[in-house]
Amino acid sequence: MTDFLQLTAAGLSQGSVYALLAVGLIATYTVRHVVNIAQGDYAMLAGLGSISLVSAGLPLPVAILIALISVTLASVLIERLVIARVKNLTTLVSIILTLGVSTLLQSIMLLVWGAEARRLPAFPGEDLLIGGVSIRSQELWMLGALVVVGGGVLLFYEKTRWGKALRASAEQPVAARIVGISPAVASVIAFAIAGFVGAVAGVVSSPIYLSIWSGGLLLGLKGFVAAVLGGLVSFRAAIVGALLLGVLESYVAGYVASGWKDAVAFFILIIVLIIRPAGLVLRPNAVRV
Amino acid sequence: MHRAQRRLLVPAAVAASIALAFTGCSSSNFGGGDGGDGASEEGPIKIGAVLDITGVGANLGVPEQNTLNMLSEQLNEDGGINGREVELIIKDNQSTEDGAAKATTELIENEQVDLIIGASRTGPSLAMRPLVEAAQLPTISVAANAAIVDGSEWVFKTAQNDVVVLERILDDAESKGYTKVALARDATGFGEGIAEIITELGAERGITLTATESFEPNATDFTAQMTNLRAADADFVIIWGITPSAGLAQAAYVQIGVGKPVYQSHGVANNAFFEAAGDAAEGVIAPMGRLLVADQLDADDPQKEVIDQFIADYTEAFDSAPSSFAGHAYDAWKIGVAAIEEAGTDPEDLRDAIEATSDFVGISGIFTVTPENHSGLTADALILAIAEGGRWNLYEE
Repeated sequence: MTDFLQLTAAGLSQGSVYALLAVGLIATYTVRHVVNIAQGDYAMLAGLGSISLVSAGLPLPVAILIALISVTLASVLIERLVIARVKNLTTLVSIILTLGVSTLLQSIMLLVWGAEARRLPAFPGEDLLIGGVSIRSQELWMLGALVVVGGGVLLFYEKTRWGKALRASAEQPVAARIVGISPAVASVIAFAIAGFVGAVAGVVSSPIYLSIWSGGLLLGLKGFVAAVLGGLVSFRAAIVGALLLGVLESYVAGYVASGWKDAVAFFILIIVLIIRPAGLVLRPNAVRV
Repeated sequence: MHRAQRRLLVPAAVAASIALAFTGCSSSNFGGGDGGDGASEEGPIKIGAVLDITGVGANLGVPEQNTLNMLSEQLNEDGGINGREVELIIKDNQSTEDGAAKATTELIENEQVDLIIGASRTGPSLAMRPLVEAAQLPTISVAANAAIVDGSEWVFKTAQNDVVVLERILDDAESKGYTKVALARDATGFGEGIAEIITELGAERGITLTATESFEPNATDFTAQMTNLRAADADFVIIWGITPSAGLAQAAYVQIGVGKPVYQSHGVANNAFFEAAGDAAEGVIAPMGRLLVADQLDADDPQKEVIDQFIADYTEAFDSAPSSFAGHAYDAWKIGVAAIEEAGTDPEDLRDAIEATSDFVGISGIFTVTPENHSGLTADALILAIAEGGRWNLYEE
């Protein structure tokens, strides 16, 4: 039983990273119908950036803050320089474009930070031991980041006028423009959110999972699987799906074989795409606009 | 199918397949490769290297690349080999077996190199072996598993054998009265056969293997394996892998609070281990070469002069201390170059010259290569080191 709970705890913290990336993916998909392959690279960029700033002597919170802001700006810059330039942007085109962006970001990271994995110092806090189940304080930071940042984005999109306006500009671009919502501004805001959320995922996970130039693609793909569970539109379903994915991976590694762990996500992706391509929550025959 | 469904299905499938394809094969080639003009007895001597510069072996391949670049510059400044310039061509195998095979074929067919050094890890080295054996090209691997040179004709290696490393670990464990061991090993070539060796060597020492777990070198979460090790109820644990994965495994092991002593392999003989494991590194014991504890060696240690010189050169060139893996590359280069100096670049003569290497004082030990032993090192090449205060220290047995 202790082992089962230990595996669950590890799976939840891993899942919280997937969940943050899924939130970032949905943030851009709901507004621009862009599937951003570079989402996971934001995490690595923020992790590596804050590591450099810490080793340059900055205090940890300052380094993290600068990294978060920089990656958010980088994401906006990518939107302005790449995404916004394309007329008649389809989802397929966006995948190919952001794949290029991802490759570019990875090459830059390889040149700047080298090929070796690096680690951000752990955030302050005491590790917990509850009934034989050990939880690192950093894992609580990761789950906390999901609650605060992921939950914040969810509320912003669903409850605030701004959030509703963002989604409106995607669903009815002409009508949105008539009532005074700028599609360009909406797109910038969506990419800023995606960049910020990805960066948060990168800095909270770096002390445990390390940061490396090539790590973003697989991480982003896991987030994408979670986002697909939410039909690429539901934050709630994606967050739940991401946590389930993390836990399931952990069980497979613990009870089956660790080599199968990475296969779990792709297996789920295939099953979902065949059986429920609209995601877990939407009724398959619901008309989405 | 409804429109809404199709709209998601197509891009999702495309994204997944593109991303999958790229996870395996992104990144670029590093260094080398400025178009060879065919080998001859007149032109430069060509030495190829196939290293794990990017991917999971980066902690090994990067310092090895640095070392070879530094040594080839030094050699050419001193006039090359018998007046001939030495051209070093380094290929990145991206820590994959197929990358190593491809790079090896390129070096053999396009560059027509006279000697190959590499690869950094066991898996890629094993992938290279049949190619260089078929091409009859002398090759010096810098990886560990004895299978790389077992029965080989053209392949040599400079890292200490896994068997002698495990002997040192089990001897120490026996002296402390331990009888049960649990193992977490690298799932790739480096960890292949380790459980069998432990079972065999342990039988002579009254030590039984109670559990074996494996981990992928690119894994980030090790809770599952370590939880299973905890359930195994052993007296001590062996974690057998390379950094950063072995360091992350160490951190996960300490986190779940088992508290049994841990031995690691020579795959963590670098400072990157402390970066990956953090405070959890404290107290780990690992057999390794003398490089990382050079400042604690006796003044009359036969390797001390060579090691001190190498540390000084490397630190000056790259502003960081060399790892044991840099040392493996140093030994491979020096043994190879000495053999070319003596025998020239005829493959047969060169191979025989490497096989005749005797009492070569290197970084990882004192090498005496024989037709039966293409590794050249004995258990004397290893010391036991303990992780304390963020570095490796000489451990008094």
